[in-house]
Amino acid sequence: MKLLAQILRYQLVTSMVVLFLGAGLFYVSVRYLIDREANKELFQSQVKVRWQLKHLETLPVYILQLGDSLQLEPVRYPGRSFIRETSMLNLAENEFQPYRQLVFYERALGQWYRVTISKMLLQRQHLMEAVVMTVTFIVTVMLISLLVLNSWLSKRLWKPFYKTLGKLDAYQIQQHETLTFEPQKTLEFDQLNQSVTHLTSRVTTAYQNLKEFTENASHEIQTPLAVILSKIEGLFQDESLTESQLVALSSVSEAANRLGRLNQALLLLTKIENRQFLAGTDPINLVPIINSKLRDLEDLIDQRELSIQTDLQPFGPVIHPALAEILVNNLLTNAIRHNVEKGKIIIILRERILSVRNTGKPLNANPEQLFERFRKESTLSASLGLGLALVKTICEVNGQNLKYDIDNEWHVLTVSW
Amino acid sequence: MKLLLIEDEKALATSIQNYFQRENFICEWAQDYESAIEKINIYKYDCVLVDIMLPDGDGLDAVRELKRKFPETGIIIISAKNSLDDRIEGLNLGSDDYLTKPFHLSELNARVQAVIRRRNFQGNQQIRFGKIIVEPQEHFVSVDTQEIILTRKEYDLLIYLIANKNRVLTKESIAEHLWGDDADLMDNFDFIYTHIKNLRKKLMDKGCPDYLRSIYGVGYKFSEQ
Repeated sequence: MKLLAQILRYQLVTSMVVLFLGAGLFYVSVRYLIDREANKELFQSQVKVRWQLKHLETLPVYILQLGDSLQLEPVRYPGRSFIRETSMLNLAENEFQPYRQLVFYERALGQWYRVTISKMLLQRQHLMEAVVMTVTFIVTVMLISLLVLNSWLSKRLWKPFYKTLGKLDAYQIQQHETLTFEPQKTLEFDQLNQSVTHLTSRVTTAYQNLKEFTENASHEIQTPLAVILSKIEGLFQDESLTESQLVALSSVSEAANRLGRLNQALLLLTKIENRQFLAGTDPINLVPIINSKLRDLEDLIDQRELSIQTDLQPFGPVIHPALAEILVNNLLTNAIRHNVEKGKIIIILRERILSVRNTGKPLNANPEQLFERFRKESTLSASLGLGLALVKTICEVNGQNLKYDIDNEWHVLTVSW
Repeated sequence: MKLLLIEDEKALATSIQNYFQRENFICEWAQDYESAIEKINIYKYDCVLVDIMLPDGDGLDAVRELKRKFPETGIIIISAKNSLDDRIEGLNLGSDDYLTKPFHLSELNARVQAVIRRRNFQGNQQIRFGKIIVEPQEHFVSVDTQEIILTRKEYDLLIYLIANKNRVLTKESIAEHLWGDDADLMDNFDFIYTHIKNLRKKLMDKGCPDYLRSIYGVGYKFSEQ
């Protein structure tokens, strides 16, 4: 939900509450004023009636021109005077209308009378209508003006914000650029832009350092390893070494080789994670890669007497060609390594999917865990345990989806894009 | 044959020098960029091995200089950087091969010999070892004028063994030579054994003596004795 829409929602709720409270208050206070006015008029009428009743003998009754209805009832005893409200049928309009009545007792010609003066509260009836209409009008006007204001605001005031957002979206760390912005009139946006500038410059520096470290680590570790391996190879040529010394030396050599490969693989992982392999814009056709890889792996496939079925259509994801090769390589080698003797491999390539199925032993671990680094299902010492981690990383970086399913004896790795 | 090694790591340089001296190569060593340029300008080499990360300069500049002076000299880049860009740039500049550290000296040796063969004889030179004659251009192998049909892997293996004759070759170095990065896949080295066995059998079937000796726990040695 847009921020402006959210603000609008709160503004509307608040103004509704205020408006209705205000309307209520307005109604109550106006009604109070009207009532007070009516009472005043009633008391004035009372004074007149009293005076006329006192002079009844001398005055004709028709003088009682009060404009309100007046009722006289003879009673035995006087009571207390009071004001009450009642609704009475108005014959002219044939509906009940509110009246305010003043009831008091007066003695005339030795007889007590209960006098009731009724006053119609016409204004009160109209008051409610006026209040409702006014409130409706204000609400409508406010709604329209808020909507108009917001759309204008989002176009004008929020423009720099959307500009910043667009730049951030398009930001690519590999290009080592620091985002810069023009100064803004709005304080908040100016602060935001400054923060973004600081952040991107810090990130760029950190990224640069990391990249340098990666390359340096590569150099610094590979060179001593090269020395170790070359010295071992020199030693192997020494005819005077005993068999047990040779065997020990061979173990050292194996370990050093392994260390070298491990270093290479970890560096590769880091480079992929640092997104140093940028995808192009066009999809890579995986078919030639798969076919050439299958040729390279022919020996291994033959030795384990695996049968391969392929169903390939010329498609592939948008990805750096080197990564496409690593992806295919690791999927295929994984399918070979974890296969059974005389097993099967089925490779299917479609427009948005590459799936490699292989027969294999049942898994002891949760399939998803196999994507973790150094996770090995078997304790085959030659395996580095990085193959599927590499595949996973490549997929994550390039926005492909990687899934591992087990379907009876079949292990299925699916990459979709 | 005369080699120049441009490498700043002394221990590695010594190993490489020793290795090639045993092949009766003259292997000179330049420890930095400056002395490398000096040597390149004075002498002519059959093959130059260049580490592209030097303390006082870029090895690629040395490659450019060399190409300008002696375009027919073979060049092999040895680098700790396994970066694709460097590899492509190096090969574009006209180097013949690119080897990433760490490498097996036997692998380096095989590549140096291949480069020299290609450069000096346009690959037409026969390779002879005992009774075996290989014509690299045609991938043709014969023993006593009888042709021997080898698979691609067996052929590569034979060339590798001959290039590193009279030396102990570890199983890992053979595996890496034949399968490259896929060597990781070898859960054991039975694999090499299959190829060795087949190659040996094919050679001996044509009356070739058994040149291949297995060294317990280490690997193999190809020699006439």
